[in-house]
Amino acid sequence: MSEDERYRTSTQYRLWSYSPDSLLALRSTTNRIAAERVREAVRRLREARALSSADTSEVENGQSTSAIPEGEVDCLTVDEELKLVAFYCRQTIQLGDHLKVPTEVKATAIQYIKRFYITNSLMTYHPADILKTALFFATKTENHYFRLTKFADAIGKTKPEDVLASEFLLTQGLRFTFDVRHPFRALEGAVMELQALSKGDIPPFHGAGAVIEARPHNMERRVKNAHGKAREYLKSSALLTDAYFHFTPSQIMMAALMIADKELTEWYIKCKFSAAAGGLQQKVLATLEKCATMLKEVDTSSEPSTTERKELKALAKKLNKCRNPEKMDLVGLQRAKREGEESVDEKIVKKRKLEREQSAKEGEDLFGPAIKK
Amino acid sequence: MANSPLVVPGSGEKSTANRTKLSNTAAASNGATPEASNTSNEGGHDLAEQMNEEEKQKYVKGKKLGEGTYANVYLGHLRSDPSKLVAIKKIKIQKEYTEGMAPDAVRELKHLQEISHPNIISLLSVFSSKDQNLNLVLEYLPLGDLEMLIKDVEGVRYGAADIKAWMGMLTRAIWFCHENFILHRDIKPNNLLIAADGEVKLADFGLARSFSDPYRIMTSNVITRWYRPPELLFGAKHYSGAVDIWSVGLVFAELVMRIPYIAGDTEVHQINLICQAVGTPNEENWPGVSKLPEYTVPEPPTPVRLRDHYLSLFGTAGPEGVDLLMKMLILDPRRRITAREALQHGWWAADPVPTKKQDLPRNSGGDAKIGEDLKRRPGVLDDERGAKVARKLDFTAVR
Repeated sequence: MSEDERYRTSTQYRLWSYSPDSLLALRSTTNRIAAERVREAVRRLREARALSSADTSEVENGQSTSAIPEGEVDCLTVDEELKLVAFYCRQTIQLGDHLKVPTEVKATAIQYIKRFYITNSLMTYHPADILKTALFFATKTENHYFRLTKFADAIGKTKPEDVLASEFLLTQGLRFTFDVRHPFRALEGAVMELQALSKGDIPPFHGAGAVIEARPHNMERRVKNAHGKAREYLKSSALLTDAYFHFTPSQIMMAALMIADKELTEWYIKCKFSAAAGGLQQKVLATLEKCATMLKEVDTSSEPSTTERKELKALAKKLNKCRNPEKMDLVGLQRAKREGEESVDEKIVKKRKLEREQSAKEGEDLFGPAIKK
Repeated sequence: MANSPLVVPGSGEKSTANRTKLSNTAAASNGATPEASNTSNEGGHDLAEQMNEEEKQKYVKGKKLGEGTYANVYLGHLRSDPSKLVAIKKIKIQKEYTEGMAPDAVRELKHLQEISHPNIISLLSVFSSKDQNLNLVLEYLPLGDLEMLIKDVEGVRYGAADIKAWMGMLTRAIWFCHENFILHRDIKPNNLLIAADGEVKLADFGLARSFSDPYRIMTSNVITRWYRPPELLFGAKHYSGAVDIWSVGLVFAELVMRIPYIAGDTEVHQINLICQAVGTPNEENWPGVSKLPEYTVPEPPTPVRLRDHYLSLFGTAGPEGVDLLMKMLILDPRRRITAREALQHGWWAADPVPTKKQDLPRNSGGDAKIGEDLKRRPGVLDDERGAKVARKLDFTAVR
């Protein structure tokens, strides 16, 4: 089986790869639906409050009542949602560092968050809640299991039920696909091969002597430096941009190497192609350039600039004013679901259904229902 | 309605009124990239909820095939084509597990979503129903499992050509897992289910995991005891696909003998039996073995069994078959045959030719059996054979 064949069977390829246009279309739809629902919910809330202005208990959530301003709700745009998601993804890296989880766990958690927010809006589910859940769930899927209570304690100001409340929502948003293919192992493989090539332990793929002659100087040291730098890109930019949605892990890895040391990487690519495959080589290089451009959009350092910080603060404020009041208390919603605290409407529906079934059953029996003992 | 994100049909069939749709309904069950819908706010559901609803609407749930503590299994069919049967495994919310979705369900979903092979059970779809129950839509495998065939000594006669056919399908399944960097870690006859056309399918990925990075440790507490290789019994924390190959070898032996070959009552007993049946592991036949954390072997040591010993026990498999079996049961996991090498072995081409799958011996009455097989909690023992199964994984001990 070739690497390509394998990758094409992955859910990352089948379900989570998009063209930029189709990704934008999905995000726009999600944003539009969420905004409509926020406005609807706020309208309902205002109506309820108008009905019982004296009785505030009608609106259980104290936090929501004060946050809702008068007039039309000013909702986040797609672009604003994306900026906030990126910010909370960075937060996830920091939280992961704090909890000392391996890179794979952090990386998987971030992809979970990014995937989740393709079909869910921040206005519906706040990223501060989702990120904890995503990180916890990633510890399960990446075989680095954390006890829930320990996890919640280590985060601080978090109860186990806060972490679990959105787990189901998250898995649904992930379409129940949990495997994420990362470029980290690919980088280790490429570096090993480069080291071997630099020492002359292995010949270049097509045995072209001229290629090996053109080997960059100080190759061993350059490989080492490129390794470190590329890894930084994989641990930050690759996760925070949309790279995973548009490129394969090996393309992302090669693009990171390209940024780290262009000459070295181009030489490496030459080693892997025969001269006859020049067209293909150009195609690969063009794709890597595109990917590298995307990776360079995000700085590898984790600190946002002051202007960014200001903008993010404003966006966070805006988000607080356009959250869906009916979806704010995830813990409460979850408890209601699990404990069967159904709303009155649901209870009536259930009762009617039971009655219907009962009468249907009785109808089948000519002599009526069985006599209870 | 606002508090209930999912429109739940009272009884599968009557629910079309609440159906919500995305624009690209042409997509096959799980395979298509989702596309944005052009219509607005369908029934007030998030896109994620709509997608779930769409998956759910593709299937109709029918009669219950089996009920267990971990899951209930139902017969189902495609709404668009009632002749296309499926098994719907509805995972119950586990009261005793308070840390969210159980690790075995996570593992099974994670791995089955990624692989597709004729000899591995197909996960056709996943959706959630009322109260956040997970529903796994699996292919319907009505003819029971290999354990039933092996045990039914009176009712089912089979020979070398049949064994070769079943082993071929199992070896291809495990080759495919390893090719995709997945360790199954629970191969045994009752995890090998049989499709209507006789095809054997590897099921139960509740203990499966991806190959570890070299520096990350794994738990040695996997694989049902009778099929567990010596390196795991000795507590190895770093291991490879060789663990599955040992299990495959023991399934092979069991197919020939029609009784589990190495059936220990405890882990220590299992090691003792391995020493008797295969030979005592030592530094000579397995360099480094004495450094494994729980390495202890009984005295006096038994020399590694030779070809004649195997020929006397497994002669029906022929000399080539015996050769393959011996290579699957090599004590040193580094020297044990790999799945790829096993597929290149001379046995497959030797006489007799493997039986065509439609001509393989079978038994009937599988309906109840698929329920039995699927409802078990993956990776954990069913009651009957509980004693020999891997203990429930302790996920806190191993990181």
